[in-house]
Amino acid sequence: MARIEITSEVTGNVWKIEAAVGDDLNNEDVIMILESMKMEIPVEATCAGKLIELRVNEEDPVDEEQVVAVIET
Amino acid sequence: MKAAVLREPNTPLEIEEVGISKPGPREVLVRPVAAGVCHSDLHFLDGSYPYAMPTILGHESAGIVEEVGSDVTYVKKGDHVITCLSAFCGHCNKCLTGHLSLCSSPEVGRAPEEKPRLYKGDETIHQFLNLSSFAELMLIHEHALVKVREDMPMDRAALIGCSTTTGVGAVFHTAGVEPGSTVAVLGCGGVGLAAINGAAIAGAGMIIAVDMVDAKLEIAKSLGATHTVNASSGNAVGEVIELTKGGCDYTFEAIGLKATTEQAWQMLGSGGTATVIGMIPVGTMVELHGVDFLAEKKIQGSNMGSNRFRVDMPRFVDFYLNGRLHLDEMISKHIKLSEVNEALDALKTGQEARHIIMFDQ
Repeated sequence: MARIEITSEVTGNVWKIEAAVGDDLNNEDVIMILESMKMEIPVEATCAGKLIELRVNEEDPVDEEQVVAVIET
Repeated sequence: MKAAVLREPNTPLEIEEVGISKPGPREVLVRPVAAGVCHSDLHFLDGSYPYAMPTILGHESAGIVEEVGSDVTYVKKGDHVITCLSAFCGHCNKCLTGHLSLCSSPEVGRAPEEKPRLYKGDETIHQFLNLSSFAELMLIHEHALVKVREDMPMDRAALIGCSTTTGVGAVFHTAGVEPGSTVAVLGCGGVGLAAINGAAIAGAGMIIAVDMVDAKLEIAKSLGATHTVNASSGNAVGEVIELTKGGCDYTFEAIGLKATTEQAWQMLGSGGTATVIGMIPVGTMVELHGVDFLAEKKIQGSNMGSNRFRVDMPRFVDFYLNGRLHLDEMISKHIKLSEVNEALDALKTGQEARHIIMFDQ
C-alpha cells in the first residue's frame, strides 16, 4: 500500500469538494475544484485508490504545490 | 438552448441541447449576437490550462439583454451589452483599491450548493470564466457586462469583450505607456494587434511589431506599427535593440511562451518594463539574467488589461466609432456556432485573424 499525495497546480481557493474520504477513486476522478483568477480548475486523482485524507475545506486558500488530499493505493 | 460543449481536452466541441437556469436576483440573461473565437479558448481546449469539465468555452461576446434578475437595475431587456470575464464583486480589497480585474470573489458565480447556471439533466455544465459564450444564451452576474451604444456593430463589440481590452488595457493601464516612448509587441494575434493599436493611441514614438508571419506584420503596420521584425530570422532581439539604439522602454509579450517572454525582457533598455500578456502554460518557468536587474528593468503580468471594463469598454467603442481603434481588420470570417471547431483549428495555424460566431436572431 502506498500513500499518494495530491497537490494543487495553482494558487487559488477551494470552490467545491467533489469527493469524500473513503471514496474509491479512479485515475483522473475529480477530487475538488479550485477557483483561481476566474478559472474553475479541477484537482484530479493521479492514480486509482481510496481517498484517505482531505487536507482542505471549501473556501480555503491553497498554494501551488500544496498537498490537498491523500490517496491510498 | 444549443451550445458547443467541451467534454474532454483535445476533443471537438459538440453542439448539444443544454439547460440554462432562470436569472437569480443579481443575474442577467443575455442573448449573444456575436462571439469571438479566441486563442485563449485553445489553451483550455488543449489542456495547457486545466478546467472543470464539461464546460462551454467562449468568453468574448456582445449581445442583447433578454431578462434581468429581481435586484438588477443597471440594465433592462433590450439593452445592448458587451460581456467581460472580469466580473467584480465591488467590495473586496481588490475592488476597493481599484483593481477590479483581480477580484476573485466567488459571489459572481453560484455557490456549490445552488442549482448551476448551466446543466444537462442532473449533470453540471461548468460555466467558463463566468461567461460561456459559445451558446445561444448566457446567464451571467450583472457585474460581468457593460451597456454600450446601439450604433456599435455587435461583431466589433464582441472583440472589445476580450482581445481589445486585454491588449489596449495592457498598454494603457498595466504598463502606462507615455507619449514618445519606444514599444515592441511580440506576437501579432488579436491581443498583440490590439496592443499595437493601443500604443499608437497612447502616442508611442516607435512601435515595433514582432511576428513570424509577414501577413500579420502588414496588418500591424496598418494599425500603427512604425517598424516590423520578422522573428523567423532568429535575431529578433538583436534587431529590436538596433532599431531602438539600446532597447525599448516597453515590451509586450502577447503569445504566452517562455522563449518570447525572455526575449521581451532582453529587448528592454535600462529602466524598461516588460509586460507579459500571453498565457504561459501552467508549470512553465521563465529564466531572466540576474544582472539585468542592475539596469532597473522590470517585468510584470497583465490579466485582461488591468481593466475597469465598465469605464474602458464604452471608451473603446467610441474609439472605434471615431476611427482610432481598428477592429475591422481583426475579423477574418463570420461563422455559425456549428462551425466553431473549424475556427479553433484555424487559430492553431496562427495564420488567420479572428473568426466571429454570429448567432441567428
